[in-house]
Formats: sequence, C-alpha cells, structure tokens
Amino acid sequence: MSDGPGADGTDGVSDAAGTDDASDDGGTSHPPYEAVTAHPEGDATVSRYVRAAREYGFGGVVVRTRGAEFDADALESRYGVDVVPAVEIAADAPDSASGSVGNFRPEFPLLSVRGGTDALNRFAVEQDRVDVLARPMAGDGDFNHVLAKAAATHGTRVEFDFGPVLRASGGRRVKALKGLRKLRELVFQYDAPFVVSGRPASHLELRAPRDLVAVGEAVGFPADAVRAGLAEWGRLAARNRERQSDSFISPGVRLGGCEEDDR
Amino acid sequence: MKHLPKHVRPRWRYLAVGIETWPGASLSRGAFQREAWYAAQNLLGDAGSADADVTVVRFSHAAGAGEAAVRARRDEVDATRAALACLDAVDGTPVGLRVRGVSGTIRACEERYLGRAGGIRDERDVVFGTDRRRGHARDGAVDIETPSGFVGATDADISDT
Repeated sequence: MSDGPGADGTDGVSDAAGTDDASDDGGTSHPPYEAVTAHPEGDATVSRYVRAAREYGFGGVVVRTRGAEFDADALESRYGVDVVPAVEIAADAPDSASGSVGNFRPEFPLLSVRGGTDALNRFAVEQDRVDVLARPMAGDGDFNHVLAKAAATHGTRVEFDFGPVLRASGGRRVKALKGLRKLRELVFQYDAPFVVSGRPASHLELRAPRDLVAVGEAVGFPADAVRAGLAEWGRLAARNRERQSDSFISPGVRLGGCEEDDR
Repeated sequence: MKHLPKHVRPRWRYLAVGIETWPGASLSRGAFQREAWYAAQNLLGDAGSADADVTVVRFSHAAGAGEAAVRARRDEVDATRAALACLDAVDGTPVGLRVRGVSGTIRACEERYLGRAGGIRDERDVVFGTDRRRGHARDGAVDIETPSGFVGATDADISDT
C-alpha cells in the first residue's frame, strides 16, 4: 500500500537526477525532452518552459522557434535543464524547404521540417540533413511504407504528435488518432527512428513525461516506445552537438591531441 | 445501504494534481469535475471512465494556481492519469495540469503532495521586450498581459520599470 506513493515520489526525484546524463555524452540513456513552440510564436518564453520542465521532470527542452530569444547556458545553469536551440522549417513546398535547410543546418544542433503535405513528408525523410519530420499526419499529410523505409535509411526521425490527442476533441481527434495509429504501424514495421512530442504552445500545454506515457498507453503505444521517443530528442541533440564541435571530422574520426608519450 | 465489509470494498488511489492557469481565471470545483469526467469519457469511453471513477475529492484554486485530489480505482491509475493529461481547458480557460503523485488515502495525499499552494502574488508594471506591460508575478514566474493575451515568462525575461 505504502509502496504506491513512495514509488511515485522517488520516480520524480530520479527523473530530476537523470538530467545529469544530458551533459554526459557517453551516457546511453537520456532523460525525456520536450520540443516546444516558444514566444513569439507560442504563449510562453523559453525560460518559462524551462522552469516548468524542471518541475515536470524533463531533462531538456528543444526550442522549435527560430525567433525565440534566450540564453541557453544561463538557463541551463539556473534550472539544470538542457536547452537545445532548434529550428522547425515551415515551408509550402520542398524547394523552399530545401533552401532553408541549407541555411539553418550549420547554425542549429537540431533541425526539423514541418510536414503535413505528401511532398514535404517525402522531402524530409529523404534528406540526410533533416533530423526530424514534424507532425507528418497533420493537414493533408499522409505516410506510407516507402516513406517509412526512406526515414529508416536516411535517419530522419518521424514525430508522433500527441498534440491533438491532448487538446483536440470529437472528429478532429478521431482523425488524429487514426493517423497516429497508421504512422505507428508503419514506423514500427520498418524500424524507422522516431520522436514523441506533445507540441505544447504554452507552458500550460506542457504535460509531464509520465502523463505522456500514460496517454500513449491509452492510445496504443507501448510505454517504452513513448519514453524512448521523448529521450530521442536529447540523443539527437547530443549527437549533433558533437558533430558540430571542432574536433569532429567524420563519424569515428576525431581530432585529438597528441599523447605526451609519443614525443 | 449498509456499508461493505472491508475486504470487498473497492481499493482507491488518490492522484494529487497540480493546476496552473493564467492569473484572473477562476475555476470552480464543479466545472473541473465535469471536465475531468468529459476527458475520461472522451479518452476511455463510457466503460473505461466508469472503471476509472475520476471523482474530484479535494479542490482549491486561486490566483492562477490550484490543486486537486482525484480518486481512481487502484488498477486504473494509469488510465486516470492519461485522462487527466487530456484535460486542457475548463469552461474555455486553458489549464496546465500535472499529477504530482499518487497515494492510498486522502490524508496521505494531502500531507504528501497538497497544501503547497503557490507563494505570494504580486502585480506590477514591467518591461517585456521593449514594451511596458502589466505583469503578474509569483515565485519567479511572471504572466504578462499583452494585446494578444497572456504570455508566460519568468523574472529573467523582464526588467522593472
């Protein structure tokens, strides 16, 4: 009986303690991250998200909004939450998206393309330079086995968007759930990489990792998959930061100092 | 009706829920209960929500912060957690919601997770970006009134006038 509350309490603590792993690239397990839309596009500033994220047990926050102003290092030292500047490219067509990808890729450790049409979805999964295909099933977007295979080949993470599950109702929600199910079956079948997000547009729309796992289970996702999807943001960010660092040459090859003994 | 012998009574769990809203919003217990049941019914269906119960047994809300205790059947805690996560607004007022923890009795739930309602609220003019705005501050968080509605910020984002 007393195990229930005890387990809950300690889980919260261990989640918070897990943030230490984020700075340690060697760590295999990452804490959950959430990818948020910040002011001016959303209704909360990055620092407000970070404050809420610490309280909710997230290890990091990915800022999808390019125009957001924040000091990632200051926030990280104040709240102990990793802050990843990112960009989500919202384009009408693949050719304009392609230009933006080229422009922003060197600047941001994480780059996603907002899907929602067949052409954009296809573009995003066939680009090695794109990290995440965001909300592929929104709008007129659709997904199929060809895209799932391409995503697996090119390492583009497919986003499971829990936003409509959390905030829509009626027919829109049913449609979103149908889309999620189709996407899930394809992504799991072809072993495509994926991320999970609730796509909050304000700190009030943020939900704790455990709550997202519970929602995922209620709509048919294995709990482990949701956890892995939340942690994947952090893994991606750590990988890309390493690649952006000066000592990185290509996978497995890095610039190292000479050892003293060789002299 | 005569109450049930102890060994056949349902086993309850109580979910301590932290609630956050924009300042000035007022939430009533009745409305919160109704939305909680709607959320459960929409996500879990009639059968699932009847199993889960989702009765609000404690509720308080003032000045943009609140908390509640929600009763669930022991086996349905995860389903209840999922239903509560899908509660995004009460009477059109957006709410932020988080399950702080789960207890086996109302008393343990209150002692462990509730009763930490939020700090002193302070309303003053602040500079956000380049504009002078009305800010509602609590505990390092500042909600700022803008022409397009509230924006959530912290004390790091503003400077005093």
